[in-house]
This record gives sequence, structure tokens and C-alpha cells, in this order.
Amino acid sequence: MSYEERANARPNLNDESDVEEEALVNDYREQVNFDDGMSELDRTTSLGGASQTQDLQAQLAAAATPLEYQATLETKFASYDNYCSLFHYILNSDGPVELEVPSYYWAWDVIDEFIYQFESFCRYRNRVARSGSNEEEAQLLRENPNTWGCYSVLNVLYSLIQRSQINEQLAAMKRGEDPLTVAGEYGSRPLYKMLGYFSIIGLLRVHCLLGDFSLALKTLDDIEMNKKAMFARVMAAHFTTYYYVGFSYMMMRRYGDAIRMFSHILVYVSRTKNFQKGGNSYDAIAKKNDQMYALIAICVALHPTRLDDTIHSALREKYGEQLNRLQHGGPEALPLFEELFRSACPKFISPTPPDFDNPSINVDPVDHHAAIFMDEVKNTLYNPTIRSYLKLYTTMDLKKLAGFLEVEPEKLRSWLLINKQRSRQVRWVEGALLEGEPVNANDLDYALDKDLIHVSETKAGRRLVDWYLRNLARVY
Amino acid sequence: MVVAFDKCETRPASIDAILEGLDRYNPETTTVFQDYVAQQCEDRTFDCYANLALLKLYQFNPHLIHPETVTNVLVKALTVFPSPAFSLCLALLPPHTQPFPANAEAQASSQISDFVESVQKLARLSTLLESAQYAQFWSTLNSDDLYADLVADVAGFEELVRIRIAVEVGKAFRQISAEVLEQWLDLRSREALEKFVVEVCSWEIEKNGPNGTVIKVPTNKENEVRSEVKSERVDIDMFGRVLRRGFEQAA
Repeated sequence: MSYEERANARPNLNDESDVEEEALVNDYREQVNFDDGMSELDRTTSLGGASQTQDLQAQLAAAATPLEYQATLETKFASYDNYCSLFHYILNSDGPVELEVPSYYWAWDVIDEFIYQFESFCRYRNRVARSGSNEEEAQLLRENPNTWGCYSVLNVLYSLIQRSQINEQLAAMKRGEDPLTVAGEYGSRPLYKMLGYFSIIGLLRVHCLLGDFSLALKTLDDIEMNKKAMFARVMAAHFTTYYYVGFSYMMMRRYGDAIRMFSHILVYVSRTKNFQKGGNSYDAIAKKNDQMYALIAICVALHPTRLDDTIHSALREKYGEQLNRLQHGGPEALPLFEELFRSACPKFISPTPPDFDNPSINVDPVDHHAAIFMDEVKNTLYNPTIRSYLKLYTTMDLKKLAGFLEVEPEKLRSWLLINKQRSRQVRWVEGALLEGEPVNANDLDYALDKDLIHVSETKAGRRLVDWYLRNLARVY
Repeated sequence: MVVAFDKCETRPASIDAILEGLDRYNPETTTVFQDYVAQQCEDRTFDCYANLALLKLYQFNPHLIHPETVTNVLVKALTVFPSPAFSLCLALLPPHTQPFPANAEAQASSQISDFVESVQKLARLSTLLESAQYAQFWSTLNSDDLYADLVADVAGFEELVRIRIAVEVGKAFRQISAEVLEQWLDLRSREALEKFVVEVCSWEIEKNGPNGTVIKVPTNKENEVRSEVKSERVDIDMFGRVLRRGFEQAA
């Protein structure tokens, strides 16, 4: 496609009925205008037709390449521009474009890097406003409120999903039909299909970063979480998906489901570790790996459960002492809960530009989410104490137990109610991620007859089949 | 069987259509959601997923924030405790609202807006409900006229909370003394308590026992508490590896 054709194609964009895309166009135009002042930047659109193909290749490669750590604000703006023009070209040319992408992983890398830059830009902008020290940068950011705007980022992701008909394709696959029948002109091409697919994973991540955990899980309605899923073919995508799904479950207080997600991927990684070493994404994966162990430690402390053997021993190795403290509960465990949460949570962002004139009112979104999470931890801090005592009795007088614990009977009554409430959890059985059944997640249960506590314990029967199979696997 | 988080039985089809499509991001739908919140307040229903969509619109378009609607959403979320609904709503509010201020004194001395103060007050109520401190919940609620203003739009707020507390009591107790229950439900007169317990909860009252009046909760699935032995679940997938191995050997 020549430059003229591309230039002609652009006015057609106005015919797009899609409001979202129109907004993207406007955003993009603003950026182009803004960029005019920076002629030294290498811009595709300003170049002649001759170097078009070659330049496109460079643009494709650039889109999937991380920015330098110390990238200047100008570079970040330019990178946003690069994405806008690239996605425009892909989405709004006359018909699907033929692109030779640099690698099989390209589609994932582009979406991943796109969101990463959005995330780091928002966090950087917030930091500049908070510190209030760099007036020059603050001014530049103030003048460009739409750069890396949440609407344009979501537009890109949703447009890629719609263009590729990926949700329809996935739904068809779920029904056992041929996805090509619903894929359409765009979606039948691998490039669009992959971009659309990874945009769904991208949305999961963006919603989670913005603190919308239920919508994050809702986004994956059409994706089945198993090893046959498309994301499983790209290690980093596989990993990212499980991390964000697990984290979203955790924030919805579905700790059992969160543990299931984290365990699944961590077991998978531990089995494939040797392949990953040496790969350039190994460091990133190793870091996320540790974060997920920290999250499992938190979830297990809040919701005691039997872990997979591999996970259990790795957790003991990495967080043994911390896990003991978390599981013991009580006020001493609070700082540790917060420390682990902060080290392992996603880097939350605020989608709108901060208030540059009042540095003090710009709170770090990570602080916001940590405070909300910690409130729940504080409320349930005495559950381990309650459980450890009740395990010893079949009946117990409330006032006597209050005496042991040195608290008011009134307070103990509250603790008993809390522990009972928190042991009821929604757990996924089948269907979409947001579905589930309430279950009693604790093997200890009790009821109060006035001040007499009747305790019962559900015992797990011997797992003979499991035991035989495991030993069989060892020798056979 | 509970309804999935993104569904709601009382949700109109028009709202459902917005939630399913991209219109959920369209600032123009803000008013539709606001009306829907007002309707929920009136007819005592609650649709968490739709309310979160409204809070998300506010998150993206802070200039559209309608403080009363936000606080009404939060007050409605209070009426479904214990649940993550309230925290999920807080997560979408601007971080500067600081629902759980780290340093209460510093907060008090610095200037905070009415909106921030309201959010913090409601967060305090949520903490009390989530940590089952029901007597303190009522005394806090009655301690300040601001609370009365905040919950005024939500029809039957106190009744809804009372019923929630009763449901939780019913799950954990077989019998409970009237003195404890009247504090938890904030029903100070014995007649009011008896009326509520009999008419709303269908529980029984046993008067003049050795320990004063006692409320008897009929047996239900949650408060009967039976010991059981969970047996191992065995399905065919577990044998996959062994079976495969058998074929490999044969080959």
C-alpha cells in the first residue's frame, strides 16, 4: 500500500460509526499536531513512500521492544504516537493489511509492551504530580492530558477484539464449531486473530490495574482456562493470565479460586523451568513467580487449605518463616501482610491525569488498594486464634474461652461470627470465571447454643487412590 | 446455587444491554446508571455489577462524579455484608478519598471535602459490619446526624441491615439470649424485638428460662453442624498417566 493510499484512507475514518474509534482518531490527531514541533523524531507518517515498507518493519519491531529504563518524556510521547499510528494502520486501512510480523510472539509482545508503557506512564505522571519537584515535566504533562489516555488504550484493545471477531470465534470453538465461519475477513488472518486474542488478556490486565476486578474476570468469559488455551502457547502470556486472574479472585475474596490459579501456573513453571533458563523473559518470569508465591502465602493464611506438594515445599523454602507468622495471625502479622501485598500486587494506576496543583491530594493508587485490602485483613485477624482453640474441643463455654483468650465475651462472639462468615466462600465449579457456588471452605465448623459452642470437624478420608497413583508414578 | 457476580435477577434488560456492550464506557450512560441506583435505593434491590460500572464511568470521567450517588452506592453495598461488594466499590473511587485514613488526627486537622468525609464515615460503618461489631455499628450510626443524611435516600436501610444481621445470627446460633440480640439489632424495647424475631425471622421465643428470655433459631443447614468424613473424589482423569504409560510399554 502506497503512502497516497494510506493518506486517502484516513479521511474515511470519519465514516466509522464507532464512537470509540472516532475518539481514538481525535486523540491521534492531537498527538500528530503535538509532534509537529519535534521534527527530530523519526515519524513514519512524515516520510516518503519509498522507505515505507522498511519503515513499517522498524515500527513493528519498535512496538514490541521495551523502552529504555531512563526514557525521557518525549520518548514516551513518541512511543505512544508510534502505537497510535500502527494500530490505526492495522485497524482502519481499507480491508485487512498484509503484514509480515517479526516473530510468532510479536502479537503478544506488542500488546504486552503497549500496556506496560501505559502503566508506567500513568505511574510516572502520578509520581511527578506527587513530588511536585519537576515543574518542566509537570507542565508538559499538564498540556497533554490525552497522551496515554485510558479511553484510547481501551479503544485500541476493544477495537482489536471487535475487528478480529475473536470472542465470536472463541465461543464457536467452545461449541465445537469451526471458528472460521464467524471469523470474518479480518479474524481469519492469524495477525488479527492473535492481536484480538491477546487484547482480551490485555484487557484483563488493564481492568485489574484500574481496580475493576470483577470486570477483569468478566473479560475472560469466552476463554477457557486450561493448557489447551491459545495463551498457553506463549509462556509470558500464560503466566500473565494466571497472575491477573488469581489476583482478581483474591480481591473478590475468593481465596480458594485464587490459590487454584496461582498453583496451576506455578506447578507448570516448576516443571518447565529448565526450558526457560537463559531466555530473555526469564528474569521477569522469576520475579512474577516469587510474587505469586507471596500471594499464595497471603491466601493460605486467610483461607487455610491443602496445597499441592510441589507448591507447599517451594512456599516453605521461599517464605517459610513469613508464612508461619501470617498463619499465626494477630496484630503482629499485620505489617507482614501489608509488606507481602505491596511486593506482590500489580502496579495499580489511576486512569486520569493527577492534580498537578495540589501534590498532596495525589495518593499512590497502590496505597489506596493496599489500605482497602488491609481493612479486610484486620477484620479477620483473629480467625487463626479462634480456629486453633476450637480444634481442641467438641464443646466449649464462650465465657471460659474468652477467659483463655483474655478478651470480652462480646468480642469473642464477634470473632466467632467473623470466622464462620469467612469460612463460607464462593468457589468456581464450572462455566464463566465469575460463577461459583458457596461452599464451607473450612474443615472446622461450629454453632452456638446460647453461650455453649458446639464444634464439629470435617475429616478428610484417606486418599488411597491418590497415594497409590503417586507411588505408582514413582516406579512405573 | 447463587447467581453469578455479573448477573442480577432484578436488572432490567436495558441495563443489561449497556453492561454487555461498549456503551458501559459512554459518559452519556452515566445518567441511566444514576437513575438505576436511585431505583435500587427505592425498591430495596441491589445490583453490584451495574453499580461498579457507574463507578468506573466516574473513575474515567471525574468531572461527572455525583457525590450523592456515590455515597448511595456505598450505602447500598453496606446492606449486603458480609461481602466484598463494599471493597470493590471503594477500589474504583479516587485514591484521594482515602477510605481508611492511616492517621486520623492528621486527617482531622487538614481540610477534607464533604465527599471525602462521607466516604470515610461509610468505610468506618463497613468495617464495623464486616467485623461483626453490630452494637458499635448502631451506636456509631446514631452518633452523628451526618450518617442519617447519608442513609436517608436508601429506603429501609436500618431494616435491611437488621435482616442481614439476623441472617448471620441464624447461621451461627441455635439459641441466643435476648439481651445480646437486642443490642445487635438495636431493638431496645422487648416488644419490638419480639415482633421482629417472630414476624420477620419466624424464630421462637422462650420466656422466663433460667437465663432470662432466649430466642430459639430453628435448625438450618448452617447451624446444625455435623461432623462428616469427606471421602476422596476419584475420576478417570487421575488414571490418565498410568493408562498412557501402559500403552507406551506395549508399543
